Amino acid sequence: MMDLVESGVPLDSDAFMELAIQEAKGALDRLEVPVGCVIVENKKVIASGSNRTNETRNATRHAEMEAIDGLLQQWQRDGLSESEVAKRISECVLYVTCEPCIMCASALSYLGLKEVYYGCRNEKFGGCGSVLSLHATSCTPSNNAGIAGFKCFGGLRASEAVSLFQIFYERGNPNAPRPHRAVVHP
Amino acid sequence: MVNNSWEIIHIPGKPPFSPTQQPTVDVFASIVDPKHANTLIRKLNKIAPFENLRHVKRVRKSCSNGKAELSMILCLTGEDGTELGSMPMDLLELTNCYQLSPFVTQVCKYAATTKEEWEEQCKLWPTSFHPPTYNIEGITGFSEENSTRIFNYMNFALKLAKSAGDQFVNAAVIVDPSLNKIITSACDEISSWNMHLDGHESHSLDVVEATTSHDDANGCALLKSNLNGSFNVPKSSSSRISCLNPWQWSHQHLSSSSSCFWHPLRHAAMVAIEYAAARDRRLFPTMEESDEKYVPLDPNVTSASAVGLPAKRQKTKLANVKNGDDISADGFLSKSERPYLCTGCDIYLAWEPCAMCAMALVHQRIKRIFYAFPNPHTGALGTVYRLQGEKSLNHHYAVFQVILHNEALASVEESITVEKGE
Repeated sequence: MMDLVESGVPLDSDAFMELAIQEAKGALDRLEVPVGCVIVENKKVIASGSNRTNETRNATRHAEMEAIDGLLQQWQRDGLSESEVAKRISECVLYVTCEPCIMCASALSYLGLKEVYYGCRNEKFGGCGSVLSLHATSCTPSNNAGIAGFKCFGGLRASEAVSLFQIFYERGNPNAPRPHRAVVHP
Repeated sequence: MVNNSWEIIHIPGKPPFSPTQQPTVDVFASIVDPKHANTLIRKLNKIAPFENLRHVKRVRKSCSNGKAELSMILCLTGEDGTELGSMPMDLLELTNCYQLSPFVTQVCKYAATTKEEWEEQCKLWPTSFHPPTYNIEGITGFSEENSTRIFNYMNFALKLAKSAGDQFVNAAVIVDPSLNKIITSACDEISSWNMHLDGHESHSLDVVEATTSHDDANGCALLKSNLNGSFNVPKSSSSRISCLNPWQWSHQHLSSSSSCFWHPLRHAAMVAIEYAAARDRRLFPTMEESDEKYVPLDPNVTSASAVGLPAKRQKTKLANVKNGDDISADGFLSKSERPYLCTGCDIYLAWEPCAMCAMALVHQRIKRIFYAFPNPHTGALGTVYRLQGEKSLNHHYAVFQVILHNEALASVEESITVEKGE
């Protein structure tokens, strides 16, 4: 993961999604739900993350949250102020293998990321159009007028993201409660 | 539940409507020849399935001039309007083929939750009605004892919300109702995060009750209730309630000292979930965590052994452990024996959570949410969004608002003042 962050080579969006998929594969190897992401600033990867919900027993530890936490800590160690962080994050682009859920989409909106590229849709939990549309400006309340949502593009290497889910669910989620319903994924 | 000083109100998964004013949607329907009915139903289910209208019956039988008549819903009208031409091509073909004459009618948008609603719905177009098959405790009302417990836990959450000096923050208290025990509690931590992990836990209800005073409260300026049963919070002291102002962080000076991290997403509910997860890891360590050299489990073996344990046994074991009996001699519980996230737990929040926190509580499998004050701008449990009614989610909690009347709010104020004076 650190290699990926430190290399910082400018790449195009397909290549960034490839890095997100690599992150997701790492999660799969750790018996986690395989979702991965990278955060890109000026065409350089500055943070990455993958799902850690089973390991932490904290179901909010999605890939996006992992990457954001790493980035915020790094920037504060570098001495950035609140307004400096806000400014830099507004130039950042997220590449994530699956549409952000309602929680993560809200978080990305609060932070003010510029754009999000995702792989497959998240029909059951998606917060960028599937269930709610938290990325859309029209959904931000009137008293927060002027707060832009983020641009969202789906379908980038979606089939690869889906095939990782298939591998995961064929194995069975070792941490799901038993007995549980068959898991249907997008 | 009505009490002199507080009420607990269930916030259902769909907006409350009077039975006669339920929202409707427009559909194309047509009278059909009974001998074509089966064929048409089969074709229609294929080309125009009722995705979000499963409660609506496809066919209506009615009587016209003493003759039985069958009408059938073809599809929803499009966004483009109710022109016939806006029907999809394959439906137009079907219409021509069977010589249908489509008309526009209305059906109820949401499934009925009561018999009264259902009876009204059927006047428009027949629907099916399935009374709720499961009942999360409380939806149909609380006993006096449970109501008092809920009030006391809420009281505890409100005191936490006021514990940060002059500034209000949101507060979260996670409770295991089967043990009547606080699992953990947390406040908003967007401005100072000390990286401590375990939070505050193990308050017994006695502590909570001891601090609840019913004495008359005089002169507590900050917490006077208004008619909506809300804290009368001056704007200047509410700006740090993270769920109310989740976009505001960039305009604030959050870091109080250089040793603390700040984090715009550390809303009270998110922090409480983190503490509960840390507690879970500590109380129920896995083999892998206790032995660094442990080889990762073969996933096939894990799932096979886990499947063998029925869910009921899991619950019994869990209760024993949490009651204070220590973990079994070898110190480990298998994955199937330890609690799954916050299954069965309640959370008390001073303010209705935003969409991020409300979804986090879905993920963590919280059973019931109690909040005191609505969140007018970003509330996701009935005010702006209503996550408890989003059918596609894989978990659904029950949501309640604890409305505090003057006397109850005054008692909260009183206990806060007393503690601060000490």
